[in-house]
Amino acid sequence: MIELSHVSKRFGDETAVDDISLRVAKGKFCALVGTSGCGKSTTLRMINRLIEHSEGDIILDGQAIDAYDPVKLRRRIGYVIQHTGLFPHWNVARNIGLVPRLLKWSATDVQSRVAELMHLLGLPVDEFGHKYPHQLSGGQAQRVGVARALAADPDILLMDEPFGALDPITREKLQDELAKLQARLHKTVVFVTHDMDEALKLADHLVVMREGRIVQQGSPLALLQSPADPFVESLLGGLERGLKQAALTRVKDHMTSMGPTLPAQSRIPGTFSLRQALSMMLRDHSDRLTVVDQHDVPVGELSLRRIIKEAQLDNGNPRE
Amino acid sequence: METRVSNSLSVAQPHKKAPQWLWPLLWGALLMMSVFAMSAAEPLFRWIEPDARQVIYDRAGFVTLLGRHLFVVGIAAVVTIIVGVAAGIAVTRRWGSDFLPLVAQLASLGQTFPPVAVLALAVPVLGFGTLPIIVALMLYGLLPIVRNTLAGLQGVESEIKTAAHAMGMKPTQILCQVELPLAAPVILAGIRTSVTINIATAALGATVGASNLGDPIISGIVNGNMAYVVQGALTIALLALTIDSLFEVLQRQLRARISDD
Repeated sequence: MIELSHVSKRFGDETAVDDISLRVAKGKFCALVGTSGCGKSTTLRMINRLIEHSEGDIILDGQAIDAYDPVKLRRRIGYVIQHTGLFPHWNVARNIGLVPRLLKWSATDVQSRVAELMHLLGLPVDEFGHKYPHQLSGGQAQRVGVARALAADPDILLMDEPFGALDPITREKLQDELAKLQARLHKTVVFVTHDMDEALKLADHLVVMREGRIVQQGSPLALLQSPADPFVESLLGGLERGLKQAALTRVKDHMTSMGPTLPAQSRIPGTFSLRQALSMMLRDHSDRLTVVDQHDVPVGELSLRRIIKEAQLDNGNPRE
Repeated sequence: METRVSNSLSVAQPHKKAPQWLWPLLWGALLMMSVFAMSAAEPLFRWIEPDARQVIYDRAGFVTLLGRHLFVVGIAAVVTIIVGVAAGIAVTRRWGSDFLPLVAQLASLGQTFPPVAVLALAVPVLGFGTLPIIVALMLYGLLPIVRNTLAGLQGVESEIKTAAHAMGMKPTQILCQVELPLAAPVILAGIRTSVTINIATAALGATVGASNLGDPIISGIVNGNMAYVVQGALTIALLALTIDSLFEVLQRQLRARISDD
Protein backbone atom coordinates (compact mmCIF):
# COMPACT_ATOMS: atom_id res chain seq x y z
CA MET A 1 0.00 0.00 0.00
CA ILE A 2 1.15 3.51 -0.79
CA GLU A 3 -0.11 6.46 1.18
CA LEU A 4 0.72 10.12 0.64
CA SER A 5 -0.51 12.58 3.21
CA HIS A 6 -0.18 16.33 2.78
CA VAL A 7 2.86 15.95 0.56
CA SER A 8 4.44 19.03 -1.00
CA LYS A 9 7.50 19.57 -3.15
CA ARG A 10 9.14 22.92 -3.60
CA PHE A 11 11.95 23.73 -6.02
CA GLY A 12 13.24 27.03 -4.70
CA ASP A 13 10.27 29.37 -4.72
CA GLU A 14 8.27 27.21 -7.05
CA THR A 15 5.79 24.74 -5.65
CA ALA A 16 5.63 21.73 -7.96
CA VAL A 17 3.38 19.61 -5.77
CA ASP A 18 1.07 21.31 -3.31
CA ASP A 19 -0.34 19.46 -0.30
CA ILE A 20 -1.60 16.30 -1.95
CA SER A 21 -3.02 13.27 -0.16
CA LEU A 22 -3.85 10.00 -1.79
CA ARG A 23 -3.91 6.32 -0.97
CA VAL A 24 -3.37 3.42 -3.30
CA ALA A 25 -4.54 0.14 -1.78
CA LYS A 26 -2.48 -3.01 -2.34
CA GLY A 27 -3.05 -4.49 -5.78
CA LYS A 28 -4.85 -1.41 -7.10
CA PHE A 29 -4.09 0.56 -10.22
CA CYS A 30 -3.93 4.31 -9.67
CA ALA A 31 -3.61 6.73 -12.59
CA LEU A 32 -2.37 10.30 -12.14
CA VAL A 33 -3.80 12.39 -14.96
CA GLY A 34 -3.23 16.00 -15.88
CA THR A 35 -1.72 18.36 -18.41
CA SER A 36 2.07 18.61 -18.59
CA GLY A 37 3.69 20.42 -15.69
CA CYS A 38 0.89 19.60 -13.28
CA GLY A 39 3.25 17.77 -10.92
CA LYS A 40 2.17 14.22 -11.72
CA SER A 41 5.65 12.98 -12.66
CA THR A 42 7.17 14.74 -9.67
CA THR A 43 4.65 12.96 -7.46
CA LEU A 44 5.64 9.63 -8.97
CA ARG A 45 9.35 10.27 -8.52
CA MET A 46 8.89 11.21 -4.88
CA ILE A 47 7.62 7.69 -4.20
CA ASN A 48 10.95 6.03 -5.12
CA ARG A 49 12.93 9.00 -3.82
CA LEU A 50 14.34 10.07 -7.16
CA ILE A 51 13.06 13.39 -5.84
CA GLU A 52 12.89 13.99 -2.11
CA HIS A 53 9.61 15.50 -0.93
CA SER A 54 9.70 18.75 1.03
CA GLU A 55 6.76 18.25 3.35
CA GLY A 56 4.28 15.62 4.44
CA ASP A 57 4.59 11.86 4.74
CA ILE A 58 4.89 9.15 2.15
CA ILE A 59 4.17 5.77 3.70
CA LEU A 60 5.02 2.49 2.00
CA ASP A 61 3.71 -0.69 3.61
CA GLY A 62 3.31 1.10 6.93
CA GLN A 63 6.76 2.66 6.97
CA ALA A 64 7.76 6.20 6.02
CA ILE A 65 9.98 6.14 2.91
CA ASP A 66 12.57 8.30 4.67
CA ALA A 67 13.26 5.28 6.87
CA TYR A 68 14.29 3.14 3.89
CA ASP A 69 17.75 3.18 2.35
CA PRO A 70 17.03 4.86 -1.02
CA VAL A 71 18.97 2.28 -3.04
CA LYS A 72 17.21 -0.65 -1.35
CA LEU A 73 13.88 1.13 -1.68
CA ARG A 74 14.32 1.55 -5.44
CA ARG A 75 15.29 -2.09 -5.89
CA ARG A 76 11.90 -3.15 -4.54
CA ILE A 77 9.93 -0.71 -6.69
CA GLY A 78 9.57 -1.32 -10.43
CA TYR A 79 9.96 1.77 -12.61
CA VAL A 80 9.02 2.24 -16.25
CA ILE A 81 9.62 5.46 -18.21
CA GLN A 82 8.50 6.83 -21.54
CA HIS A 83 11.63 6.30 -23.61
CA THR A 84 12.39 3.04 -21.79
CA GLY A 85 15.85 4.13 -20.56
CA LEU A 86 17.17 0.72 -21.61
CA PHE A 87 20.95 0.46 -21.61
CA PRO A 88 21.93 0.55 -25.29
CA HIS A 89 25.15 -1.39 -24.71
CA TRP A 90 23.43 -4.33 -23.03
CA ASN A 91 21.33 -6.92 -24.81
CA VAL A 92 17.70 -7.49 -23.88
CA ALA A 93 18.35 -10.37 -21.49
CA ARG A 94 21.01 -8.43 -19.61
CA ASN A 95 18.81 -5.34 -19.40
CA ILE A 96 15.94 -7.33 -17.90
CA GLY A 97 18.20 -9.11 -15.43
CA LEU A 98 19.58 -5.85 -14.01
CA VAL A 99 17.77 -5.61 -10.68
CA PRO A 100 18.02 -9.33 -9.83
CA ARG A 101 21.76 -9.08 -10.43
CA LEU A 102 21.94 -5.99 -8.21
CA LEU A 103 20.16 -8.06 -5.56
CA LYS A 104 22.88 -10.71 -6.02
CA TRP A 105 20.63 -13.48 -7.30
CA SER A 106 22.54 -16.50 -8.62
CA ALA A 107 23.23 -16.52 -12.36
CA THR A 108 20.85 -19.41 -12.98
CA ASP A 109 18.05 -17.73 -11.04
CA VAL A 110 18.51 -14.54 -13.05
CA GLN A 111 18.51 -16.50 -16.27
CA SER A 112 15.32 -18.38 -15.53
CA ARG A 113 13.57 -15.26 -14.27
CA VAL A 114 14.51 -13.39 -17.46
CA ALA A 115 13.17 -16.25 -19.58
CA GLU A 116 9.96 -16.32 -17.55
CA LEU A 117 9.37 -12.58 -17.95
CA MET A 118 10.17 -12.55 -21.64
CA HIS A 119 7.70 -15.36 -22.14
CA LEU A 120 5.12 -13.43 -20.11
CA LEU A 121 5.55 -10.37 -22.32
CA GLY A 122 5.51 -12.27 -25.58
CA LEU A 123 9.19 -11.87 -26.44
CA PRO A 124 10.71 -15.32 -27.06
CA VAL A 125 14.14 -15.52 -25.40
CA ASP A 126 15.72 -17.28 -28.38
CA GLU A 127 14.65 -14.53 -30.72
CA PHE A 128 15.03 -11.44 -28.57
CA GLY A 129 17.38 -12.29 -25.68
CA HIS A 130 20.49 -11.37 -27.63
CA LYS A 131 19.11 -8.36 -29.45
CA TYR A 132 20.17 -4.86 -28.52
CA PRO A 133 17.63 -2.13 -27.72
CA HIS A 134 18.23 -0.29 -31.00
CA GLN A 135 17.16 -3.40 -32.89
CA LEU A 136 13.72 -3.41 -31.27
CA SER A 137 10.55 -1.63 -32.33
CA GLY A 138 9.10 0.93 -29.92
CA GLY A 139 6.53 -1.54 -28.64
CA GLN A 140 9.08 -4.31 -28.14
CA ALA A 141 11.46 -1.95 -26.34
CA GLN A 142 8.73 -0.84 -23.97
CA ARG A 143 7.83 -4.49 -23.28
CA VAL A 144 11.46 -4.99 -22.30
CA GLY A 145 11.16 -1.89 -20.11
CA VAL A 146 8.17 -3.41 -18.35
CA ALA A 147 9.94 -6.75 -18.00
CA ARG A 148 12.94 -5.02 -16.44
CA ALA A 149 10.68 -3.26 -13.95
CA LEU A 150 9.03 -6.56 -13.00
CA ALA A 151 12.27 -8.53 -12.85
CA ALA A 152 12.74 -8.72 -9.08
CA ASP A 153 8.99 -9.21 -8.59
CA PRO A 154 8.35 -5.87 -6.83
CA ASP A 155 5.01 -5.24 -5.12
CA ILE A 156 4.94 -1.72 -6.44
CA LEU A 157 5.20 -0.56 -10.01
CA LEU A 158 5.67 3.10 -10.98
CA MET A 159 5.01 3.96 -14.61
CA ASP A 160 5.75 7.40 -16.05
CA GLU A 161 3.88 7.84 -19.35
CA PRO A 162 5.16 4.43 -20.47
CA PHE A 163 3.20 4.36 -23.72
CA GLY A 164 3.39 8.07 -24.53
CA ALA A 165 5.94 7.72 -27.33
CA LEU A 166 4.24 4.83 -29.13
CA ASP A 167 1.97 4.93 -32.16
CA PRO A 168 -1.77 4.63 -31.35
CA ILE A 169 -2.11 1.01 -32.45
CA THR A 170 0.90 -0.23 -30.50
CA ARG A 171 -0.17 1.89 -27.55
CA GLU A 172 -3.59 0.31 -27.44
CA LYS A 173 -2.09 -3.16 -27.75
CA LEU A 174 0.30 -2.56 -24.86
CA GLN A 175 -2.51 -1.08 -22.76
CA ASP A 176 -4.51 -4.26 -23.28
CA GLU A 177 -1.49 -6.36 -22.39
CA LEU A 178 -0.83 -4.30 -19.27
CA ALA A 179 -4.47 -4.70 -18.19
CA LYS A 180 -4.18 -8.47 -18.62
CA LEU A 181 -0.86 -8.54 -16.80
CA GLN A 182 -2.29 -6.53 -13.92
CA ALA A 183 -5.30 -8.86 -13.66
CA ARG A 184 -2.81 -11.67 -13.17
CA LEU A 185 -0.08 -10.09 -11.05
CA HIS A 186 -2.04 -7.62 -8.87
CA LYS A 187 0.78 -5.14 -8.43
CA THR A 188 0.21 -1.84 -6.70
CA VAL A 189 0.58 0.47 -9.68
CA VAL A 190 0.94 4.23 -9.90
CA PHE A 191 0.63 5.24 -13.53
CA VAL A 192 1.24 8.75 -14.86
CA THR A 193 -0.38 9.80 -18.14
CA HIS A 194 -1.90 12.78 -19.90
CA ASP A 195 -4.13 10.50 -21.94
CA MET A 196 -7.50 10.30 -20.20
CA ASP A 197 -8.69 7.38 -22.33
CA GLU A 198 -5.66 5.39 -21.25
CA ALA A 199 -6.32 6.24 -17.62
CA LEU A 200 -10.03 5.37 -17.86
CA LYS A 201 -9.18 2.08 -19.49
CA LEU A 202 -6.61 0.92 -16.97
CA ALA A 203 -7.23 2.55 -13.61
CA ASP A 204 -9.18 1.49 -10.55
CA HIS A 205 -8.54 4.87 -9.02
CA LEU A 206 -8.21 8.09 -10.98
CA VAL A 207 -6.43 11.18 -9.68
CA VAL A 208 -6.78 14.39 -11.67
CA MET A 209 -4.04 16.92 -10.99
CA ARG A 210 -3.69 20.57 -11.95
CA GLU A 211 -0.96 23.01 -11.00
CA GLY A 212 0.42 20.73 -8.32
CA ARG A 213 -2.89 20.04 -6.64
CA ILE A 214 -5.35 17.19 -6.77
CA VAL A 215 -8.57 18.48 -8.34
CA GLN A 216 -10.56 15.30 -7.98
CA GLN A 217 -10.01 11.62 -7.29
CA GLY A 218 -12.17 8.54 -7.33
CA SER A 219 -13.17 5.60 -9.49
CA PRO A 220 -13.34 6.27 -13.23
CA LEU A 221 -17.12 5.84 -13.23
CA ALA A 222 -17.53 8.23 -10.31
CA LEU A 223 -15.53 10.90 -12.09
CA LEU A 224 -17.40 10.41 -15.34
CA GLN A 225 -20.73 10.70 -13.55
CA SER A 226 -19.93 13.81 -11.57
CA PRO A 227 -16.84 15.74 -12.61
CA ALA A 228 -15.91 18.25 -9.93
CA ASP A 229 -15.36 21.22 -12.22
CA PRO A 230 -15.18 22.26 -15.90
CA PHE A 231 -11.47 21.37 -16.03
CA VAL A 232 -12.07 17.76 -15.06
CA GLU A 233 -15.05 17.66 -17.37
CA SER A 234 -13.01 18.87 -20.33
CA LEU A 235 -10.27 16.32 -19.52
CA LEU A 236 -12.95 13.66 -19.50
CA GLY A 237 -13.92 14.68 -23.00
CA GLY A 238 -16.85 17.06 -22.49
CA LEU A 239 -19.69 15.80 -24.67
CA GLU A 240 -17.92 12.49 -25.23
CA ARG A 241 -18.31 11.65 -21.55
CA GLY A 242 -21.36 9.51 -22.18
CA LEU A 243 -19.45 7.39 -24.64
CA LYS A 244 -16.46 7.09 -22.34
CA GLN A 245 -18.73 5.89 -19.60
CA ALA A 246 -20.27 3.38 -21.97
CA ALA A 247 -16.74 2.23 -22.81
CA LEU A 248 -16.23 1.23 -19.17
CA THR A 249 -19.33 -0.95 -19.00
CA ARG A 250 -19.42 -4.44 -20.41
CA VAL A 251 -22.26 -5.75 -22.56
CA LYS A 252 -22.43 -8.90 -20.42
CA ASP A 253 -23.49 -6.94 -17.34
CA HIS A 254 -26.43 -5.27 -19.06
CA MET A 255 -27.88 -7.78 -21.45
CA THR A 256 -31.35 -9.19 -20.97
CA SER A 257 -32.29 -12.79 -21.53
CA MET A 258 -33.37 -13.82 -25.01
CA GLY A 259 -36.86 -12.59 -25.79
CA PRO A 260 -39.57 -14.46 -27.69
CA THR A 261 -38.88 -12.51 -30.89
CA LEU A 262 -36.39 -13.57 -33.56
CA PRO A 263 -32.81 -12.88 -32.45
CA ALA A 264 -31.20 -9.82 -34.04
CA GLN A 265 -28.79 -10.35 -36.93
CA SER A 266 -25.87 -8.46 -35.40
CA ARG A 267 -23.84 -10.36 -32.82
CA ILE A 268 -21.58 -8.94 -30.16
CA PRO A 269 -19.37 -10.80 -27.64
CA GLY A 270 -20.37 -10.24 -24.04
CA THR A 271 -16.92 -8.98 -23.10
CA PHE A 272 -17.26 -5.96 -25.42
CA SER A 273 -18.21 -2.54 -24.03
CA LEU A 274 -21.50 -0.72 -24.34
CA ARG A 275 -19.66 1.83 -26.46
CA GLN A 276 -18.74 -0.85 -28.96
CA ALA A 277 -22.34 -2.06 -28.84
CA LEU A 278 -23.60 1.44 -29.68
CA SER A 279 -21.15 1.69 -32.54
CA MET A 280 -22.31 -1.65 -33.90
CA MET A 281 -25.94 -0.51 -33.71
CA LEU A 282 -25.11 2.63 -35.69
CA ARG A 283 -23.21 0.63 -38.26
CA ASP A 284 -25.84 -2.05 -38.73
CA HIS A 285 -28.87 0.26 -38.46
CA SER A 286 -30.25 -1.92 -35.74
CA ASP A 287 -31.54 -1.12 -32.25
CA ARG A 288 -31.00 -4.68 -31.05
CA LEU A 289 -27.95 -6.91 -30.78
CA THR A 290 -27.57 -10.60 -29.98
CA VAL A 291 -25.00 -11.17 -27.27
CA VAL A 292 -22.78 -14.22 -27.73
CA ASP A 293 -20.25 -15.99 -25.52
CA GLN A 294 -16.69 -16.88 -26.54
CA HIS A 295 -17.93 -19.85 -28.56
CA ASP A 296 -20.27 -17.59 -30.57
CA VAL A 297 -23.32 -19.12 -28.86
CA PRO A 298 -26.17 -16.60 -28.23
CA VAL A 299 -26.61 -15.98 -24.51
CA GLY A 300 -28.80 -12.87 -24.43
CA GLU A 301 -29.74 -9.68 -26.15
CA LEU A 302 -29.15 -5.97 -25.78
CA SER A 303 -31.42 -3.19 -26.95
CA LEU A 304 -30.75 0.51 -27.43
CA ARG A 305 -33.51 1.31 -24.96
CA ARG A 306 -31.74 -0.89 -22.43
CA ILE A 307 -28.42 0.89 -22.88
CA ILE A 308 -30.01 4.29 -22.32
CA LYS A 309 -31.88 3.04 -19.29
CA GLU A 310 -28.69 1.55 -17.83
CA ALA A 311 -26.90 4.86 -18.25
CA GLN A 312 -29.65 6.45 -16.19
CA LEU A 313 -29.37 3.75 -13.53
CA ASP A 314 -25.59 4.22 -13.39
CA ASN A 315 -26.04 7.90 -12.90
CA GLY A 316 -28.30 7.07 -9.99
CA ASN A 317 -31.22 9.17 -11.20
CA PRO A 318 -34.25 6.86 -11.08
CA ARG A 319 -32.88 4.67 -8.31
CA GLU A 320 -32.56 7.38 -5.69
CA MET B 1 42.62 -14.14 -29.30
CA GLU B 2 41.35 -10.96 -30.91
CA THR B 3 40.27 -12.90 -33.97
CA ARG B 4 38.29 -15.42 -31.96
CA VAL B 5 36.38 -12.68 -30.17
CA SER B 6 35.43 -10.84 -33.32
CA ASN B 7 34.50 -14.11 -34.97
CA SER B 8 31.98 -15.06 -32.35
CA LEU B 9 30.54 -11.56 -32.34
CA SER B 10 30.20 -10.86 -36.03
CA VAL B 11 29.46 -14.11 -37.78
CA ALA B 12 27.62 -12.24 -40.49
CA GLN B 13 30.58 -10.19 -41.63
CA PRO B 14 33.84 -12.13 -41.27
CA HIS B 15 35.21 -10.54 -44.46
CA LYS B 16 35.43 -7.16 -42.71
CA LYS B 17 38.11 -8.50 -40.40
CA ALA B 18 40.90 -8.50 -42.93
CA PRO B 19 40.81 -4.83 -44.04
CA GLN B 20 40.47 -3.83 -40.41
CA TRP B 21 43.99 -5.05 -39.58
CA LEU B 22 45.41 -4.17 -42.96
CA TRP B 23 46.52 -0.60 -42.18
CA PRO B 24 48.20 -1.18 -38.79
CA LEU B 25 50.08 -4.13 -40.29
CA LEU B 26 51.13 -2.15 -43.35
CA TRP B 27 52.28 0.92 -41.42
CA GLY B 28 53.90 -1.28 -38.77
CA ALA B 29 55.84 -3.17 -41.43
CA LEU B 30 57.04 0.07 -43.03
CA LEU B 31 58.04 1.38 -39.60
CA MET B 32 60.04 -1.77 -38.91
CA MET B 33 61.72 -1.45 -42.28
CA SER B 34 62.71 2.14 -41.62
CA VAL B 35 64.00 1.30 -38.14
CA PHE B 36 65.94 -1.86 -38.97
CA ALA B 37 66.91 -1.29 -42.58
CA MET B 38 67.41 2.44 -42.99
CA SER B 39 70.90 1.85 -44.43
CA ALA B 40 69.39 -0.11 -47.32
CA ALA B 41 68.01 3.19 -48.58
CA GLU B 42 71.47 4.77 -48.64
CA PRO B 43 71.46 5.40 -52.44
CA LEU B 44 68.25 7.36 -52.05
CA PHE B 45 69.65 9.54 -49.28
CA ARG B 46 72.93 9.90 -51.18
CA TRP B 47 70.85 11.39 -53.98
CA ILE B 48 69.32 13.90 -51.53
CA GLU B 49 72.68 14.86 -50.04
CA PRO B 50 75.35 14.05 -52.68
CA ASP B 51 78.11 16.05 -50.92
CA ALA B 52 77.63 14.91 -47.30
CA ARG B 53 80.30 12.72 -45.73
CA GLN B 54 77.63 10.49 -44.25
CA VAL B 55 73.99 10.14 -45.26
CA ILE B 56 72.61 7.61 -42.73
CA TYR B 57 72.24 8.88 -39.17
CA ASP B 58 74.28 6.56 -36.95
CA ARG B 59 75.00 8.39 -33.69
CA ALA B 60 72.41 6.10 -32.14
CA GLY B 61 70.56 3.16 -33.62
CA PHE B 62 67.04 3.86 -34.85
CA VAL B 63 65.75 1.01 -32.69
CA THR B 64 67.12 2.74 -29.57
CA LEU B 65 65.70 6.08 -30.67
CA LEU B 66 62.29 4.49 -31.34
CA GLY B 67 62.35 2.84 -27.92
CA ARG B 68 63.12 6.15 -26.16
CA HIS B 69 60.50 7.93 -28.23
CA LEU B 70 57.85 5.38 -27.30
CA PHE B 71 58.94 5.51 -23.66
CA VAL B 72 58.46 9.30 -23.44
CA VAL B 73 55.12 9.26 -25.28
CA GLY B 74 53.97 6.22 -23.32
CA ILE B 75 54.70 7.70 -19.88
CA ALA B 76 53.03 10.97 -20.87
CA ALA B 77 50.01 9.07 -22.27
CA VAL B 78 49.54 6.93 -19.16
CA VAL B 79 49.68 9.97 -16.88
CA THR B 80 47.41 12.13 -19.08
CA ILE B 81 44.87 9.35 -19.48
CA ILE B 82 44.69 8.76 -15.73
CA VAL B 83 44.62 12.48 -14.84
CA GLY B 84 42.40 13.52 -17.76
CA VAL B 85 39.77 10.82 -17.39
CA ALA B 86 39.75 11.18 -13.60
CA ALA B 87 39.29 14.95 -13.90
CA GLY B 88 36.54 14.49 -16.47
CA ILE B 89 34.74 12.03 -14.21
CA ALA B 90 35.18 14.19 -11.11
CA VAL B 91 33.69 17.36 -12.57
CA THR B 92 30.69 15.55 -14.04
CA ARG B 93 29.72 14.18 -10.60
CA ARG B 94 27.30 16.26 -8.60
CA TRP B 95 29.93 17.03 -5.92
CA GLY B 96 32.51 18.17 -8.48
CA SER B 97 30.31 20.16 -10.83
CA ASP B 98 31.52 23.47 -9.36
CA PHE B 99 34.93 22.78 -10.92
CA LEU B 100 33.60 21.99 -14.39
CA PRO B 101 34.33 25.43 -15.96
CA LEU B 102 37.73 25.62 -14.27
CA VAL B 103 38.89 22.22 -15.49
CA ALA B 104 37.61 22.81 -19.01
CA GLN B 105 39.50 26.10 -19.11
CA LEU B 106 42.73 24.76 -17.64
CA ALA B 107 42.77 21.96 -20.17
CA SER B 108 42.36 24.29 -23.13
CA LEU B 109 45.00 26.60 -21.65
CA GLY B 110 47.43 23.67 -21.76
CA GLN B 111 46.73 23.30 -25.46
CA THR B 112 47.23 26.98 -26.32
CA PHE B 113 50.59 27.00 -24.53
CA PRO B 114 53.18 26.03 -27.17
CA PRO B 115 55.21 22.94 -26.17
CA VAL B 116 58.41 24.83 -26.99
CA ALA B 117 57.51 27.44 -24.39
CA VAL B 118 56.80 24.71 -21.86
CA LEU B 119 60.24 23.28 -22.57
CA ALA B 120 61.88 26.68 -22.20
CA LEU B 121 60.20 27.18 -18.85
CA ALA B 122 60.67 23.59 -17.64
CA VAL B 123 64.36 23.23 -18.34
CA PRO B 124 65.54 25.74 -15.68
CA VAL B 125 63.38 23.96 -13.12
CA LEU B 126 63.70 20.34 -14.12
CA GLY B 127 67.08 20.42 -15.89
CA PHE B 128 67.95 18.96 -19.28
CA GLY B 129 66.83 15.50 -20.28
CA THR B 130 63.68 13.46 -20.50
CA LEU B 131 61.67 14.99 -17.65
CA PRO B 132 60.87 18.42 -19.21
CA ILE B 133 59.64 16.85 -22.44
CA ILE B 134 57.38 14.45 -20.52
CA VAL B 135 55.93 17.43 -18.63
CA ALA B 136 55.39 19.33 -21.87
CA LEU B 137 53.68 16.35 -23.50
CA MET B 138 51.45 15.85 -20.46
CA LEU B 139 50.25 19.44 -20.54
CA TYR B 140 49.79 19.36 -24.28
CA GLY B 141 48.01 16.01 -24.39
CA LEU B 142 45.63 16.68 -21.54
CA LEU B 143 43.07 18.79 -23.40
CA PRO B 144 41.77 16.26 -25.96
CA ILE B 145 41.37 13.67 -23.22
CA VAL B 146 39.62 15.94 -20.73
CA ARG B 147 37.44 17.48 -23.44
CA ASN B 148 36.39 14.13 -24.86
CA THR B 149 35.83 12.58 -21.43
CA LEU B 150 33.51 15.49 -20.63
CA ALA B 151 31.73 15.25 -23.99
CA GLY B 152 31.41 11.47 -23.68
CA LEU B 153 30.01 11.50 -20.16
CA GLN B 154 27.71 14.44 -20.81
CA GLY B 155 26.51 12.73 -23.96
CA VAL B 156 24.98 9.81 -22.05
CA GLU B 157 21.22 10.35 -22.27
CA SER B 158 19.72 11.53 -19.02
CA GLU B 159 16.85 9.02 -19.46
CA ILE B 160 19.38 6.21 -19.26
CA LYS B 161 21.01 7.63 -16.14
CA THR B 162 17.61 8.22 -14.53
CA ALA B 163 16.61 4.65 -15.27
CA ALA B 164 19.86 3.32 -13.82
CA HIS B 165 19.29 5.40 -10.71
CA ALA B 166 15.67 4.35 -10.40
CA MET B 167 16.53 0.64 -10.72
CA GLY B 168 18.63 1.02 -7.57
CA MET B 169 22.14 1.19 -9.01
CA LYS B 170 24.70 2.92 -6.81
CA PRO B 171 26.61 5.92 -8.24
CA THR B 172 29.79 3.89 -8.77
CA GLN B 173 27.80 1.13 -10.48
CA ILE B 174 26.18 3.70 -12.78
CA LEU B 175 29.60 5.16 -13.60
CA CYS B 176 31.37 1.87 -14.27
CA GLN B 177 28.56 -0.13 -15.85
CA VAL B 178 26.64 2.54 -17.72
CA GLU B 179 28.36 5.89 -18.16
CA LEU B 180 31.96 4.85 -18.89
CA PRO B 181 31.06 2.04 -21.33
CA LEU B 182 28.75 4.39 -23.23
CA ALA B 183 31.28 7.22 -23.22
CA ALA B 184 34.20 4.92 -24.11
CA PRO B 185 34.21 5.51 -27.88
CA VAL B 186 34.35 9.28 -27.42
CA ILE B 187 37.00 9.04 -24.68
CA LEU B 188 39.07 6.71 -26.85
CA ALA B 189 38.87 9.20 -29.73
CA GLY B 190 40.33 11.83 -27.37
CA ILE B 191 43.14 9.51 -26.31
CA ARG B 192 43.85 8.80 -29.96
CA THR B 193 44.16 12.50 -30.78
CA SER B 194 46.32 13.12 -27.74
CA VAL B 195 48.75 10.27 -28.38
CA THR B 196 49.05 10.94 -32.10
CA ILE B 197 49.80 14.63 -31.56
CA ASN B 198 52.32 13.77 -28.86
CA ILE B 199 54.23 11.35 -31.06
CA ALA B 200 55.03 14.29 -33.32
CA THR B 201 55.53 16.78 -30.49
CA ALA B 202 57.93 14.51 -28.60
CA ALA B 203 60.57 15.16 -31.29
CA LEU B 204 61.08 18.56 -29.64
CA GLY B 205 62.65 16.68 -26.74
CA ALA B 206 65.82 16.40 -28.80
CA THR B 207 66.38 20.13 -28.29
CA VAL B 208 66.64 19.73 -24.51
CA GLY B 209 68.78 16.63 -24.53
CA ALA B 210 66.08 13.96 -24.43
CA SER B 211 67.38 11.62 -27.06
CA ASN B 212 64.64 10.21 -29.32
CA LEU B 213 63.54 10.14 -32.96
CA GLY B 214 63.82 13.93 -32.95
CA ASP B 215 67.62 13.58 -32.76
CA PRO B 216 68.23 13.01 -36.49
CA ILE B 217 65.98 15.97 -37.31
CA ILE B 218 67.74 18.40 -34.97
CA SER B 219 71.15 17.06 -35.92
CA GLY B 220 70.25 17.35 -39.60
CA ILE B 221 69.14 20.95 -39.19
CA VAL B 222 72.24 21.87 -37.24
CA ASN B 223 74.65 20.18 -39.71
CA GLY B 224 72.68 21.12 -42.80
CA ASN B 225 72.12 17.44 -43.60
CA MET B 226 68.70 17.06 -45.21
CA ALA B 227 68.98 13.26 -45.32
CA TYR B 228 69.03 13.08 -41.48
CA VAL B 229 65.95 15.28 -41.29
CA VAL B 230 64.08 13.06 -43.73
CA GLN B 231 65.06 9.91 -41.82
CA GLY B 232 63.84 11.28 -38.50
CA ALA B 233 60.65 12.75 -39.95
CA LEU B 234 59.87 9.61 -41.91
CA THR B 235 60.24 7.32 -38.91
CA ILE B 236 58.14 9.60 -36.70
CA ALA B 237 55.45 9.80 -39.37
CA LEU B 238 55.37 6.02 -39.75
CA LEU B 239 55.18 5.59 -35.97
CA ALA B 240 52.31 8.06 -35.77
CA LEU B 241 50.45 6.31 -38.61
CA THR B 242 50.98 2.89 -37.02
CA ILE B 243 49.67 3.97 -33.61
CA ASP B 244 46.82 5.95 -35.17
CA SER B 245 45.65 3.00 -37.27
CA LEU B 246 45.84 0.76 -34.18
CA PHE B 247 43.50 3.16 -32.41
CA GLU B 248 41.22 3.07 -35.43
CA VAL B 249 40.92 -0.70 -35.08
CA LEU B 250 40.35 -0.41 -31.34
CA GLN B 251 37.61 2.18 -31.85
CA ARG B 252 35.90 0.11 -34.47
CA GLN B 253 35.87 -2.93 -32.21
CA LEU B 254 34.49 -0.89 -29.35
CA ARG B 255 31.75 0.53 -31.55
CA ALA B 256 30.95 -2.94 -32.84
CA ARG B 257 30.62 -4.23 -29.31
CA ILE B 258 28.19 -1.48 -28.39
CA SER B 259 25.97 -1.21 -31.43
CA ASP B 260 26.16 -4.53 -33.22
CA ASP B 261 25.51 -8.16 -32.53
